[in-house]
Amino acid sequence: MSEGVKTRKLHLRPWVRAVHRDVGYVAVGLTIVYALSGLAVNHIADWNPNFHDTIRELEIGAIQGETDAVAASAVLQRMGIAERPSDTYRAGDELTILLDHRTLHVTSAGHVLDEAQRPRFILRAVNWLHLNRGKKAWTYFADAYAAGLLLLALSGMFMIPGRKGLAGRGAALVAIGVAIPVAYVVLSNGP
Amino acid sequence: MKRSVLPEPTVRDIPEASGDVLRPTMTDRRTFLRAALGGTVIAALGGAYYLVDDDATRRARGATLADGRPRLPPNQHVISRIKPMGGQEGDPNPNAFRLNVYGEVEAPFVLDFAALLAMPQVTQTCDVHCVTKWSLLDSHWTGVKIADLAARAKLKSAARYVIFESAHGYSANVPIHEALKPNALLAHRYEGQALPLTHGAPVRAVVPDLYFWKSAKWLTAIHFVGSDQPGYWETRGYSNHADPWKEERYS
Repeated sequence: MSEGVKTRKLHLRPWVRAVHRDVGYVAVGLTIVYALSGLAVNHIADWNPNFHDTIRELEIGAIQGETDAVAASAVLQRMGIAERPSDTYRAGDELTILLDHRTLHVTSAGHVLDEAQRPRFILRAVNWLHLNRGKKAWTYFADAYAAGLLLLALSGMFMIPGRKGLAGRGAALVAIGVAIPVAYVVLSNGP
Repeated sequence: MKRSVLPEPTVRDIPEASGDVLRPTMTDRRTFLRAALGGTVIAALGGAYYLVDDDATRRARGATLADGRPRLPPNQHVISRIKPMGGQEGDPNPNAFRLNVYGEVEAPFVLDFAALLAMPQVTQTCDVHCVTKWSLLDSHWTGVKIADLAARAKLKSAARYVIFESAHGYSANVPIHEALKPNALLAHRYEGQALPLTHGAPVRAVVPDLYFWKSAKWLTAIHFVGSDQPGYWETRGYSNHADPWKEERYS
């Protein structure tokens, strides 16, 4: 090499680290959304991840009223509920009283089936996002997040040079990560 | 003899005195191994809960249905109370209920809740089976046979499938021969009481011979179609037919 000619080596690793870091920052919020919701919905057979549900039965004594509205008013008074019903419906002997996230089914003898739901504030929102109930634009955000995760996974492998390069501990851990889903599919006879 | 003279410890050298109380951390190998062992034992016990059959499951496994099928489909376990299993709730108000019956029929119609109650009612006892592996035995449902709705709509011979349409765009497809079985209902009562909101109030489908996600909650329409239209879960990797006895969980 002749003296005076300078060569510039391309240093990719700092760029990989910078990209990984910045994409990681952006991904924090969405990762929390998807992780919380994933845990919540994964155990949907064991609980309602969107609402606290309560159902109770009680006796409040015979209910009489010239109209359903009067009867409903009497029921609410006896149960100590100040809220005004959004609607009422009568089917034979049973009066249904609709409240906010709460329904009372009352027989004329005064038997009440009281079912209520209290939304889980955070989880209901993150589940709504995770399950893409909102559709429309959220599909694009979710796609972008998925692409971001791919970028994080791939760039993560090249951030810090190991002593043995790609053949060292990193390779073993990546192999384990790949082997887990493959083994599960094989051992469980797959789809 | 040479004696070494150790300096007197200062307050800073004594962890308790300086406030730097030694606490086990995950970097402590022994602590990590203990935690890992404890976690493994707890996970194993949790797994055993699912593996060990309870009495109800054992009894159900030994029983058979009238048609010779085992009462409990493969790899199901018996539970005592139905589970809600989520879904995006519809409007529980009976006044707001409208059921649109349309498609491959000669006489489409829209039914309100009172009209549904005015149709012939049946109360049946049946087992229901969830794809997540629980089964509920001897559940009681009251409602209208889907076959009666089909007869009222004058079903065309071209109809091959029923698409249950529900609140917020949920749908489930069921072959016509399954939907017209005498045990396939539109239910508005469960266990003698009004259908709870979490179970699809005011009206849901009940198709006991298929995994229960086919029994759409918060029903808004019954669409008879000539060609299949996979629904919400069917387009997300779940079986198109969903026969529990063939363990058709996934496509």
